[in-house]
Amino acid sequence: MRNASDTATTSASGSPTVVRVIRGVQVLAVVAAAIGVLVFPQTGPGPFIMSVGVVILSYACMATGWNFVGGFTGYISLGHAAFTGLGGYLVGLLILRADVPSWIALVLAAVIVAVLSIPIGFASLRVRGASFVIMSLALVLIMLLIFQSWSDVTGGSNGLRVPRPFGPEVLRPEQHERFYYLHVLLLVIMLVAWWAIDRSRFGAGLKAIREDEDKAQSLGIPTFGYKLSVYVISAFFTALAGGLYALWFGFLDPIFQFSILTGSYMVLMSLLGGIRSLFGPALGAAIVGYAIEFFKAQYGDTQFHLVALGLLLGLVVLFMPEGILPSLGRLLDRLRPSATSIREESAEELANKRAVLVGDNGGAS
Amino acid sequence: MASDYLLELTDIEAGYGRAALVLRGLTVQVPPAQIVCLVGPNGAGKSTVLKVASGMLVPRSGRIVVDGADVTGKGPQQLLRAGLSHVLQGHSVFKEMTVGENVNLGAFSVRDPRHVAERLDFVKSLFPLVADRWDALAGALSGGQQKQVEFARSLMVDPKVVLLDEPSMGLDPKATAIIFEQVVRMRDAGTAVLLVEQNARRALESADVGLVLDLGRVHISGPARQLLDDPKLGELYLGGRPRTSATERQPS
Ligand SMILES: Nc1ncnc2c1ncn2[C@@H]1O[C@H](COP(=O)(O)OP(=O)(O)O)[C@@H](O)[C@H]1O
Ligand SMILES: [Mg+2]
Repeated sequence: MRNASDTATTSASGSPTVVRVIRGVQVLAVVAAAIGVLVFPQTGPGPFIMSVGVVILSYACMATGWNFVGGFTGYISLGHAAFTGLGGYLVGLLILRADVPSWIALVLAAVIVAVLSIPIGFASLRVRGASFVIMSLALVLIMLLIFQSWSDVTGGSNGLRVPRPFGPEVLRPEQHERFYYLHVLLLVIMLVAWWAIDRSRFGAGLKAIREDEDKAQSLGIPTFGYKLSVYVISAFFTALAGGLYALWFGFLDPIFQFSILTGSYMVLMSLLGGIRSLFGPALGAAIVGYAIEFFKAQYGDTQFHLVALGLLLGLVVLFMPEGILPSLGRLLDRLRPSATSIREESAEELANKRAVLVGDNGGAS
Repeated sequence: MASDYLLELTDIEAGYGRAALVLRGLTVQVPPAQIVCLVGPNGAGKSTVLKVASGMLVPRSGRIVVDGADVTGKGPQQLLRAGLSHVLQGHSVFKEMTVGENVNLGAFSVRDPRHVAERLDFVKSLFPLVADRWDALAGALSGGQQKQVEFARSLMVDPKVVLLDEPSMGLDPKATAIIFEQVVRMRDAGTAVLLVEQNARRALESADVGLVLDLGRVHISGPARQLLDDPKLGELYLGGRPRTSATERQPS
């Protein structure tokens, strides 16, 4: 709906050169980050650091998938681990029990999760605010119970071993590298999808819902259908992320797959980076993911990193409620010379208009 | 056309929940290309009239007819399609979206992109501000400018009647003057307007037809000029001094 020629002709504020410089800095930052991500495996990081890279990319995929519903509608779901977990388990079960080839299983699992998310979204999107959050939490706990107790199929608490898609001739470092690039690919697909929605009529409707659902409805936006659609899209991508992780890691345990912690990570990462920006969740995932892995490596599997992350979340909510990227953007905006100046109509212009009006309708005003 | 009016509310009785009725047998008629101004004190039920007209509140009895078609009992989406566009009381732009996105949202229910482009041209010519500030965040505009964006948004559907709820609320006199000029421009461009105002004197100066709402009914109606010139009326309803409308909060 955004008209390209309009945006080009009306430079709303700031001098064009400054605007161009800011654009340039933004593009440069994205290109630099992309190159960094792509060449990282070639710098010989070693298998352990490579595996940390894969984990962080997996977090980036999960958070970006979460952000389809969180970013566009403002509905905060703490229960998206239900979708990563289901995605992972379905991939494993399809391969093990139905002999489906790994990559087809990955896509098929995500499609099944998307279908399952329709009734879930139907039930939970009717309520806003805290009720929605609580329903999303309940969903994870229900999944945990099901996958723990239905052990004939899921392996229960003993876990489920997921066969690797690459043969035994592919060694561990090579495995890591391949999965690293597969995660990059998935992330790029998600970012392109998010970007496309952001610019579309669908996206405009969703953002209206995020600001004021009643107002959006009064403009004729089918709010419920829109929320449900983006919820299903989010479930699909989040399940893909969960499935890809399962193929890489090769082992699933219900406690970790359906963990409230995982869902909270997605929220924290997205909020930290900024849920309204395309790259926000991925940036947040890089920071938080790195911190988690760092704490684990330094202090072992203690609960210390949880305390640190809790503190971080508190700080973000208090001091940077919009996240890092929007705050940075605002900082850049200050550089624009007349970003906040508002064109007032001069007395002369007003007088002219008045003259036109009076002339038009014989002094009705 | 079955009727001389674009919008007719006939014998409307309406209220909220179990509370007493707010409107008790109200009748309002809006002819084409005229500004009909409904004035009345705070809490008289002015906003309620517009909510009934736009389908946000279904009346207990009475009839709503738009351009000859009976639309009684229909919801907001259907009444929007029937040609009634409602600009709510208070500020209702989407502050975190650009002016362009706001205006385009007004055409959300319009399917034909050519029609949208036509309306956009029309709206931009009527409100140059919209074209000037197309990429600015709506929340960064002044209150009066935000109102203009709302007007522009409401015209995107090519409405038969625009319902304006206290457009001058919270604006300084200068911005108020601009806003009423814009209302007149809308009328001159062919749109009928049902305007509701507490700022009665100023609103009637711009209107064609004036109505005074009291105790849930229209008590006095006539050409706006005549109402303004009536000394008894001025004393009773138009008030010697302006009421402070800025502190009033929007219900629900
Ligand atoms: N959503 C609502 N629920 C209950 N009562 C309401 C609601 N909105 C308005 N009212 C009541 O209806 C009456 C008329 O309100 P309103 O139409 O907003 O008046 P006005 O716009 O003339 O100031 C008031 O007494 C008000 O308290
Ligand atoms: Mg009111």
